[in-house]
Amino acid sequence: MRAMPMIVNRTITSAFVALICLVIPFAAVAQDAASSPSSSDYVSRAEYDKLKADHEAMKKELEALKTAVRQMANGTVPAVPAEGPAPATKPTEGKQVVTTTTPQTDVAALQAEVDTLKTQVKETFPGTTKFLLAGYGTAGFTARSGEDPFFDAAFNAIFLWKLTDRLFFEGELEFEFEDEATTTNLEIAQVSYLLNDYMTIGVGRFLNPMNFFVERQHMNWVNKLPDKPLAVYDGLFPESELGAQLRGVIPIGPTKLEYAAFVANAPGLITAPGDLSELGMLDFDNDANIGGHVAVGGRIGFIPIPQLEVGYGIQRSKVGPRDHAVENVLQSVDFNYVSDSTLLKGLINARAQWGWSHVGHFIYDPDGRQGFGPLAFNNNRNGGYAELAYRPTHIDNNVIKNFEPVVRYDRLNQLHTPVGFDEQRWTLGLNYWLTPSAVIKAAYEFDDKNGGARDQDAFMLQVAVGF
Amino acid sequence: MKEIVSPICKWIGLPGVTIIISWAALTWLIGCAANQESGQVAAGTTPSAAEKSGAQLWAENCVRCHNIRSPSNYSPAQWEVVMMHMRVRTNLTPEEHKKIIEFLKSGT
Repeated sequence: MRAMPMIVNRTITSAFVALICLVIPFAAVAQDAASSPSSSDYVSRAEYDKLKADHEAMKKELEALKTAVRQMANGTVPAVPAEGPAPATKPTEGKQVVTTTTPQTDVAALQAEVDTLKTQVKETFPGTTKFLLAGYGTAGFTARSGEDPFFDAAFNAIFLWKLTDRLFFEGELEFEFEDEATTTNLEIAQVSYLLNDYMTIGVGRFLNPMNFFVERQHMNWVNKLPDKPLAVYDGLFPESELGAQLRGVIPIGPTKLEYAAFVANAPGLITAPGDLSELGMLDFDNDANIGGHVAVGGRIGFIPIPQLEVGYGIQRSKVGPRDHAVENVLQSVDFNYVSDSTLLKGLINARAQWGWSHVGHFIYDPDGRQGFGPLAFNNNRNGGYAELAYRPTHIDNNVIKNFEPVVRYDRLNQLHTPVGFDEQRWTLGLNYWLTPSAVIKAAYEFDDKNGGARDQDAFMLQVAVGF
Repeated sequence: MKEIVSPICKWIGLPGVTIIISWAALTWLIGCAANQESGQVAAGTTPSAAEKSGAQLWAENCVRCHNIRSPSNYSPAQWEVVMMHMRVRTNLTPEEHKKIIEFLKSGT
């Protein structure tokens, strides 16, 4: 019976000790918890997992933004992530949502807008090359003594194509009235390639590089008078060449040295003309290169000061039938001085050019079948012009400053050829400039021929527009 | 030297030789006169294309053949074509071409 209470006591004691052991830790935790927020602020496992997921999503978003910024900095289009932007989290209590769009969508929208604008701008250009239609038009009236007065008109369309920074095409078509019909001439069809900064190669039909007037001055809105000077235009030299040219410029300090060299079809020799006065002259429309000769030539120009350019051009070839070919040498010198003078209160244009044409000794109609031979001679001709123009651009009057008086002397010496006369002309002109490339010209020409030919004075009017 | 000069003189003829010499002399005289007037040669300050502005080069080069056109006549893209054309036709140096085109584009 005494053993029973002892067992009960031991059991009670053990239970008490066990109870104390269990309670002490909780008591310690309870003491720590007394200084912490209330138990309602505790983070639950679910909240922790959600926060962790949000954190991972934000990290991904930040990485995507960094990538987009890097691509924009490199000038490339930001790639749209394979996974779309993280869906906007549902607004919850205590959280604020500033915008419903992400930076990626903003960038993409901006890029789309830029692309649209680029397309619209590009649509205004003709492809990747650059094209320009330029040219000039002319309308005129001529009353020449001994001839019926007439009106005329012409239109030159110039097609310019910049294919690359080095490759360029230039074409010119001329439409004009001739013999009661409209004629079309291919004046230029040249492909140019810039070999380097100081050398360009051109192939095709190009304006004659040895003839300064033809290459730089013959356009009607540039030429100061309604007609063109004797000898240097449609006279001693070809207007254009069919071949290849190499040209460029060498800067020498403040001066410049221009050069041009070409090979081309040689002119033909007129041996059986309808009009005998043309006997021994050159046929510059020898596109088929009858005779099979090659012309070699070029020009060297020097610009010692910006206002002055002087040059010398030459062309040499054989002309005539292959088995009886003779020598042909064409030479030209040119002088061009243009100065904006404060002393004279205006712009002065002083130009001159002189040329020589030599065709070697040739026997025309050797067997007399054409009825005028045999006839043997050298055909040597020369001629040129000198011109002075003044425009009072510094005068403070909007009407007077647009007037430009011009005087020109031109001459062609061919007395000792089948033509049989020399011709010289004095031309007085007055221009009025409507714009820098539109002009009204009026001129009177005093003609003087020797050798029995009739003088043909002329009154001329012309309107020329360059565009 | 004579072996080289004689054939050249014979090839271009007496008129050619005379004219070349005359033109060279005239060019030299005019060049000297113009520069002395401005004092540039004496001072050694004759400017080259690299030292000139686009506007100056535009005025100097274009007016040598025709009236100068306003930069507003063409769009920048059109000026590129026009200037390529002029570079080939009138032998502009690359410096002149670059500066003039920049000037024309800035004024359109």
